[in-house]
Amino acid sequence: MNGIHDMGGMQGLGSLEYEEDEPVFHARWEARAFAISLAAGALRKWNIDAGRHQIELILAADYLRMSYYEKWTERLIRLLVKSGVVTPAEVESGKPDSTSTKSTPPLTADMVAPGTARGGSARRNVQVAPRFRAGQQVRARNVHPSGHTRLPRYARGKTGTIQRDHGVFVFPDTNAQFLGEAPQHVYSVRFEARDLWGEQASPRDSVYIDMWDDYLELI
Amino acid sequence: MREFGLDLTEDVAVRVWDSTAELRYLVLPERPVGSEGLNEDELSAVVTRNAMIGVAKVALPKHSERA
Repeated sequence: MNGIHDMGGMQGLGSLEYEEDEPVFHARWEARAFAISLAAGALRKWNIDAGRHQIELILAADYLRMSYYEKWTERLIRLLVKSGVVTPAEVESGKPDSTSTKSTPPLTADMVAPGTARGGSARRNVQVAPRFRAGQQVRARNVHPSGHTRLPRYARGKTGTIQRDHGVFVFPDTNAQFLGEAPQHVYSVRFEARDLWGEQASPRDSVYIDMWDDYLELI
Repeated sequence: MREFGLDLTEDVAVRVWDSTAELRYLVLPERPVGSEGLNEDELSAVVTRNAMIGVAKVALPKHSERA
């Protein structure tokens, strides 16, 4: 969706603020928000792409006001309610309703360290024919889906060159809507900075964007 | 990059990786002049997060320069 999260190329956001030696968590609640989000993910009621879409659905004014882990918490509440794990009334009261069935997470403490070390790959070992090959000129499709997409707005309609084929990965656009993984090739596509940002950009500069097959068309 | 404190000359080509997929990139920082004799521990002591995301150069503390 064309939401506030897709900020590439936006101006008017003020100067960059960053912390020297930024801590992983600024407060204990942030660590809890992170841990609860991962633990709830083990319920397997949603996937990473559906989760990201829930963050995009936060109203723009709220999105800009909220800190990183506030957004995580908001996402988690929305996912838990949407998937029926908790009710809005339970979120409001902070207490389980006596009539609710209890979800037993299939996750115990001893499973966490090996699980996080293993990670979760979006790569799929399936044979899918690539639609493009390195060196080809391609155009990013000018599409504006209302659901989740990883195709940045600033690249749509722009022309680039396939640099390399990364292999086959889950397609976030369908996966976010629980419409299947639609595994397909992901390419690193090089765009000249001037093709994206006009004459003010340096002719030496470029942007490499990871693009799924369905984001691209042959010129 | 200027806001990160990195001023590059016009002859430097900037290549930005927009990590839109489940692929993550590390930047191999440019080796600072005078670091040739440093061992792995000494090098890891001077590298920074910003250097590995490509918005800073690695600076050597004065005492470790061996050029």
